[in-house]
Amino acid sequence: MSIDSKAAVLWPGASYPSRVGPSDEELVETFQGGDSAAFEVLVRRWDRRIQGLIYRVVGGEEEARDLCQETFLRAYRGLGTFKKEARFSSWLYQIALNVSRDRLRRRRLRNHVSLDELTEESEARWAQGGPTALDLVESRDLSRAVAVAVAALPDEQREVIVLKEYEGLTFQEISQVLDVPLSTVKTRLYRGLGQLRLHLTRQGIRGAAPVPAPLS
Amino acid sequence: MTCEAHRDDVLDVLYGEADPAATRRVEEHLSGCRDCRDELDGLRRLRGDLSEWELPASLRGSRAIPSVFRSTWWRPLAAAATVLLALGGALGLSGSELRYDAGRVSFRLGRAPVASAPAASPGQDLERRLAALEARQEEALRTIQAALASGSGPAAADQLLPRMERLIADSEARQALMLDARLEDYADRVDRQRRYDMAQVSAGLSYLDGKTGLQVARTTELVGQVLQASQKR
Repeated sequence: MSIDSKAAVLWPGASYPSRVGPSDEELVETFQGGDSAAFEVLVRRWDRRIQGLIYRVVGGEEEARDLCQETFLRAYRGLGTFKKEARFSSWLYQIALNVSRDRLRRRRLRNHVSLDELTEESEARWAQGGPTALDLVESRDLSRAVAVAVAALPDEQREVIVLKEYEGLTFQEISQVLDVPLSTVKTRLYRGLGQLRLHLTRQGIRGAAPVPAPLS
Repeated sequence: MTCEAHRDDVLDVLYGEADPAATRRVEEHLSGCRDCRDELDGLRRLRGDLSEWELPASLRGSRAIPSVFRSTWWRPLAAAATVLLALGGALGLSGSELRYDAGRVSFRLGRAPVASAPAASPGQDLERRLAALEARQEEALRTIQAALASGSGPAAADQLLPRMERLIADSEARQALMLDARLEDYADRVDRQRRYDMAQVSAGLSYLDGKTGLQVARTTELVGQVLQASQKR
């Protein structure tokens, strides 16, 4: 069921335009007016994208689900004071990235200790962070190779790569989400792409390799 | 202009965000710069590779909606169903009596002696016993429903009563079995968590122990150096 038809089911008599459906900002206004069901539509509109974003930034399917829920819980708590001049999607992406950064920070702190412990449980949790290099060698699968390469990027570059390549945000939108200048976004993206190309080329992924100059 | 100066424009072209002026600048530069042409081609192929990274099937098909945000139309029904289930369970566990007499169904709240439920055993044995009890309950229910549908009167009611009492007894036994199984499972989970926590504490202590050992070694070395320095004087 599409978002718009879902909205029509939720509010059969609503005056929202049936062709395009209410915008995010209109739904926020409805929510702030006291109709909490509007949040349901926002969740259904965004939950898969947010879940995908978190998965690609943090890694781990269960973690992605947990953190997606955490994102929407925080959004629910904060939506009452959401300022109308901001875009809801940018605001939601900011929350998702903050939640992801918190998790990555905690994971790194925990792994600092767990290097010594090597219990089965901690190994299993570590493995949830994403495919290992061994997985890559064994599988030679392009999808996993890309996942490993993206996971190896510095956080700032990975965020920009994910927002650009997989979420399809414009440079301007990424600049708003990350609250950094446009030039910074492009620098991080360019460096990230360079790192990815290097990483994938080392893994034997031919498509990423630069074209050799012709012999003259 | 240098290649570096065109980098932002090249990215705009790569992602289809370049305005006509930027596109013209890039085209002009690329026409005379083989390195940048190769760079742009390489970035396009890289984007093709990146697009191969798909989300796991479990994430593509599932939603991550917190239950608190779900639609609320079913909540009164769910609440009513919960109350009914709780009442049913309480009736069964408290040994209440259900009676069919003179064409009327009645029940009495009370504490009859609880049938001694056999101790729950793990795994297949438990499943087998639960399945057997469930089958007996279904059979008894079918019989009662058939008798009620036929409307045979008080004579049939006398035959029905023992069946219904047996149904309740079976229900009690089944719930006791399930309760025991859940308690056992809970105890097992608590024990596993305890062992995991102990492993964490142990690892933390080992880590601290290592740090302390290193500190002692450094201090010893420092004292040695101080002693050597003082002897030289």
